[in-house]
This record gives sequence, structure tokens and C-alpha cells, in this order.
Amino acid sequence: MADTIGLTRRKRDMNAELNLTPFIDLLSTCVCFLLVTAIWIEVASVEIKQHHGTEAASSPKESYELDVVFKSPTDISLNLKQNNRRRKHFDVKASSFDEVITKLNDVVANQLMMKDKKITIAQAMITPRSTVDYGNMVAVLDVLRSHEIVNIGVISTR
Amino acid sequence: MHLSQSLISGNLFEKRLISRKQKKDKFRKNVAIVLTLTSMVDVFSMLVVFLLQTFSSSPEILISKGVELPASHTAALIREAPVVAISHDGNIYLDQKEVGETGKVLRNPDVLLGKLNKIKLDWLKNHPGEDFTGDINLQADKATPSTTVSRLMGILTSGQFQSIKLAVIGSAVR
Repeated sequence: MADTIGLTRRKRDMNAELNLTPFIDLLSTCVCFLLVTAIWIEVASVEIKQHHGTEAASSPKESYELDVVFKSPTDISLNLKQNNRRRKHFDVKASSFDEVITKLNDVVANQLMMKDKKITIAQAMITPRSTVDYGNMVAVLDVLRSHEIVNIGVISTR
Repeated sequence: MHLSQSLISGNLFEKRLISRKQKKDKFRKNVAIVLTLTSMVDVFSMLVVFLLQTFSSSPEILISKGVELPASHTAALIREAPVVAISHDGNIYLDQKEVGETGKVLRNPDVLLGKLNKIKLDWLKNHPGEDFTGDINLQADKATPSTTVSRLMGILTSGQFQSIKLAVIGSAVR
């Protein structure tokens, strides 16, 4: 009997009243602040190194360069160059642009080799065409960048 | 007489009052609502955690009106710099201000070059003793012909804005 009384007394002592009001106030303020300052559309950037005037044009003599020439949105030709001499040529053609991107991905990943050795592309140059949208050009840039070709320029005509 | 009557009536009245109060108390006990705040606090906490995770410290760059940016999964964080935009309606904007119709600006870029030069001079004034970085963000609608973008890039380069960053919608910003 005494034990039970002791237990209940102990239990009563353990019950603490936690005032949740300031905690909820703080949480509400936090939620409001974060909702107001949240950026829902993340704008990022892709750096381009232009042909004229930047270090993109200057590369070591023994390095490889890749020319990406748009013929149409579904036809891209790739020229692999070494010391300004064309060493290999690839035509990437398909019925849709998505297929072209898949094929281009495959070519850049598996076929850009010299004597069965994987080579490093020092720089790439993209030649645009009026029939090709900017969105398509960015998609090609994305493929090149995903294969660690980051020194990319776009040939600009004035 | 009056007093005794009042006392009697008072007693009766008191009894009634007591019984009514007891009834009221009973009623009150039944009505009392227990508001459980646990679930609300849970939701709030989850919201705070989610918003803190998505919180980005990158500078907020406004996307110009009529510009639908292409998506990229290899994009990097954007830096704060002047913004040149080619919108879907065929106009070129510099820092949200219209410069002119795209074709005209590309044929005669003097107006754009003048404004770019002013930006450059302001930058040099604010950063004395530093070399001009030539950073510029280029926002172009994804349906714009790629040659238009490349021609604008040529103009920007000739205006000593050589570090061109193409603004894209980043799916996984690195």
C-alpha cells in the first residue's frame, strides 16, 4: 500500500508542464522567414570560354581539341584534332534530338580514343547553326561537360 | 418580516444557484476541448527542416520576362554579375532594361556596347586597383537560334565581358 502511494507520488513529481507557446512562436517565425526567403527555381550557370580573347584558344601543342559542328538539330559532326590537324571524324545522326544526345554521349564516352587509349580533350569548340535552338546547344554543352570537357567555346560570328 | 422572508427565499435561491452552478460545472467539463499541439509542432518542425535543407545561399538572379531557360545537370553556382537577356519576344535586355530589338542590336551593337562600357567603368570605380573580371550572365530563351546567342557572345567579348556564364535551370547545382 505504502509502495503504491510512494510510486504515485514519484510519478506526480515526474510530470513537468512544458510551455509550448514560445516554441510554437519560434517555429512559426522560422517557417515564415524560410518561406519568404526560399528560392524555388535554382538558376545556375554554365561557363563558356570564348574563342577570341580568352585562354580557351591557347592550349598545349600535344593536346587534343574537339570541334562540334551543328549541321542540323539531328545531325552533329565531331572532328578530333591534334595540333590543328584532323585525326578523327564522327557523324552523329538520328531521327530525333534526344537520340542524337544519346549517341553523342556514347561517342564522347567510348570512341574518342587514340591507339586504344583514352585521351583527354583540352578544349572543345562549338559551331552553332541558325536552325539549332539555344536549348539544344546547351544540351550538347551538358554532354561535353559531363565527360570532363570543361574548356568549351562557342564560335561567334559578327 | 421582510428579512426572514428574504432569508428563506435567499436560501432557496442559493440552493438553486448552487445546483445551477454544479450543472454548469458539469457542462463545462463536458465542453472542455483538449487541443493536442504535438501534431502541429511535428508538422512545423518538418517544415523547418525541409526549408532549411532547401535553403540556398546563392545570389538570387531574376529571370527576365519572356525567357524560358534551358535545363542543365552539370551547371555550377551562379555569380552576381550584370545580366544580358534575349527574350522570346525578340528583345535584348540589360539588367531588366530593354536595349532594343535583337536583330537591330546585333546589327548595330553600339548602344549595348555603350551601356556595357558604363557598367565596366562603374565596376572599376568601385573596385580600385583590381583587374576587370568581365563576368556577365547571359539569359536566353531556349527557343532562340543558337547563332543569335553566339553573335551576342561575340559582342560581349568585344566589350571586354569575356567570362560569359550561360544562365540555366540547374537540376543538380554543383
